[in-house]
Amino acid sequence: MPGAPKKRQKREEYKESLSKDDQNGALPKKKFYRQRAHANPFSDHSLTYPKSPSDMDWASYYPAYAAKSDESEATVTQAPTEEDASRQITRPVEIADIGCGYGGLLFALAPKFPDTLLVGMEIRISVCEFVQEKIRALRHQSLATNTYQNVACIRANTMKFLPNFFAKAQLSKIFLCFPDPHFKARKHKARIVSSTLNSEYAYVLRPGGIVYTITDVEDLHKWMVEHFEAHPSFERVGEVEQEGDMCVEVMRTETEEGKKVGRNGGRKFVACFRRVEDPPWP
Amino acid sequence: MAIPFQCVRVCRPDPHDQSSWLLLAASGPRIYSSHSSGGTSVWSSQKSSESAEPVQADESQEPPGKKVKLSKQAEEPPNVSKLLVTSNSQHLVAVTAEDKCLRVFRLDLTGRLEPLSQRSMPKRPCAVTMIENDATILCADKFGDVYALPLLPSPTDADDIAVAAQEKETSASFVPTATPLTVHSGRNRKALEDQLKQKLQPKTKEPLKFKHDLLLGHVSMLTEILYAEVEGEKTGAKPRTYIFTADRDEHIRISRGPPQSHIIEGFCQGHREFVSKLCLSRSGDLISGGGDDDLIVWDWLSCRVLERISIKQPVLDFLKAHPQHAGSPQESEGDLRVAVSGIWAAPSTFSRDSVLVTCEGVPALFHFIIDGRKKVSSLQQTLPLTGNPLDLTLLESGPITEFIVVSIDQTRAPGSATMLRQKDDVPSRMQAFSLGSSGGWNLTSMLDVTLERLNSQAQADALLGREAEVVNPETPGKQSPVQDILYGIENLRKRAGAED
Ligand SMILES: C[S@@+](CC[C@H](N)C(=O)[O-])C[C@H]1O[C@@H](n2cnc3c(N)ncnc32)[C@H](O)[C@@H]1O
Repeated sequence: MPGAPKKRQKREEYKESLSKDDQNGALPKKKFYRQRAHANPFSDHSLTYPKSPSDMDWASYYPAYAAKSDESEATVTQAPTEEDASRQITRPVEIADIGCGYGGLLFALAPKFPDTLLVGMEIRISVCEFVQEKIRALRHQSLATNTYQNVACIRANTMKFLPNFFAKAQLSKIFLCFPDPHFKARKHKARIVSSTLNSEYAYVLRPGGIVYTITDVEDLHKWMVEHFEAHPSFERVGEVEQEGDMCVEVMRTETEEGKKVGRNGGRKFVACFRRVEDPPWP
Repeated sequence: MAIPFQCVRVCRPDPHDQSSWLLLAASGPRIYSSHSSGGTSVWSSQKSSESAEPVQADESQEPPGKKVKLSKQAEEPPNVSKLLVTSNSQHLVAVTAEDKCLRVFRLDLTGRLEPLSQRSMPKRPCAVTMIENDATILCADKFGDVYALPLLPSPTDADDIAVAAQEKETSASFVPTATPLTVHSGRNRKALEDQLKQKLQPKTKEPLKFKHDLLLGHVSMLTEILYAEVEGEKTGAKPRTYIFTADRDEHIRISRGPPQSHIIEGFCQGHREFVSKLCLSRSGDLISGGGDDDLIVWDWLSCRVLERISIKQPVLDFLKAHPQHAGSPQESEGDLRVAVSGIWAAPSTFSRDSVLVTCEGVPALFHFIIDGRKKVSSLQQTLPLTGNPLDLTLLESGPITEFIVVSIDQTRAPGSATMLRQKDDVPSRMQAFSLGSSGGWNLTSMLDVTLERLNSQAQADALLGREAEVVNPETPGKQSPVQDILYGIENLRKRAGAED
């Protein structure tokens, strides 16, 4: 939906007005940020991404957690590399919402995990900008309480670049909420869950960490269950434990897609998987 | 235009005769083999009619312009893109590009190639290696997947696999579960339509009828695969095995070897451009190169950069010293782009690791001494070549390397990937070097008889018109299949702002 010139102009004027008024606590309007539903995860988007997690300028995303230069040596999780010019933060990101869309889940989880850093990752540029604007506005609105300092959104193609952002065993939770279904058999490699990609989720998750999945498409649910259960690094979380996890309820009710499905009276299929310890070498 | 030797391999098929050797060289669809004691034989791939079926126009990795493949192209005999000799020199594995085939040959003592099997892979194989004492082929493909295949398919496999596939088909028979109720967004409505459409269509692809296990995958074109064994930590423990895979998106991934290849041990992160070649030095450090100005030496067990070594500077120096070459930098040196096309572990020099490096379209061989741990790696020697190097192979007897053979592009002007040579300036398709006592490489005439025999046979075939390279394919802007095999590396570089 590249839009008629008039529409584009309106968008630009709108975004400019936002950026001029930095102290504005007004929430962004979604209509200025909509974007064509599908982005091809295989193509060379002009994406920017860090060479490695320690090259990531996290401090600009979580300014309240920026490491002072003298303490950064001691507190950063990754040893800075030689040419490391990036600014680090005092604790690593631990929760990632992959394909976060308009960020509903992030905004609901952030106050519930006040001491944990959360990040949304979204491939569509305007959708990502929307979330970033909303974070800015919410931070401004809640200066007194300091909420939403622990949440950020970055534009990324997670299917290719997850290990550029996160070190081995860095994350404790990964959310995959209402992923694009890609029904065609030929497009299975485009799905966000596959036996080969699951190895990357296992890599960035610490043992005991959880992958949360939810979808309204039963076939996709079956597909995700089949592929995580077949992967030796994961085991399915039991029903009781699943339902006792507050994140599951948030995922059902606070994601934009979850709300839409709810309004339509559709079904939502949930499955969670625990990262198990790696076996010893044979 | 005669096709140069895009691949060369030298080996010793007779373990009891340490003085004889065999040289294998691929030119277009043909593989020549020439024995040191005389005698040459040729094998050629056939025009395939079966693959003339229209290829599904939906391979999401390809940019839209490329989608419809010309079925015409499939009628030409497919070109060899890789040669790999098993470590016991009993078999040769060849990849043919257009039909995505892995072909296995037995090498007899005289060097004749006996075709044993031919397996067409789902996507084009980009790199292959052998593991488990030559029992298994690892095949890394254009879509990012790595498959393990037995060296030779067992005849019972086909039946077992057909049955298994059928069972899977019936059990997973497709019920479109995206009902009008669940379908709430425009996106999903579209998906449902697609799903219903798909159900009506017959399956476009048959399942592969041979054993092939998916070990791991990147979401990016793979460029290279290596395998390593390391002593276990405890004495008496089994050696640990690792698979290294490199991709177009700058990644070098280190996974455990099978049966634990689903475990990623780490990533060697440091390249800014594609990685095209990986090499393990004799002492076991990893050296990588690609579209960056530097090679990187890694302590790969800890994923740490040990040292960066400029490859661009030696290339620049070489080109400046040889202004006659087409690729010599004219105005700004900064614009020169190097694309590493090969890194080979050479015998150690002064008891330090050493590697030989080539860059696409640069008629020279760069010999580096590698000492990443002390950060004192250095360029030892730059060997000018008579044309652009296409491949290189080393003959070793025990710890000693007897010689190397470099295949040379006799068709294009040195320094250029596209410009043709003057008619009166056609060198031999190969050059050989041996290691001198000072630790440097020198041209050698020791192999001239064999090289010349091979060269003149390929030349004769070319004159008969058997090996004309199609220089100008019907789709402008797209490289011919042979051009892509000979000069496909710089093409891996991403073009800024391509698609958004
Ligand atoms: C159906 S939406 C779901 C959004 C959100 N999770 C929710 O539940 O409301 C799927 C999102 O995933 C994003 N996406 C798809 N592939 C992606 C990738 N490879 N990397 C990052 N985001 C991706 C899409 O742009 C889209 O916004």
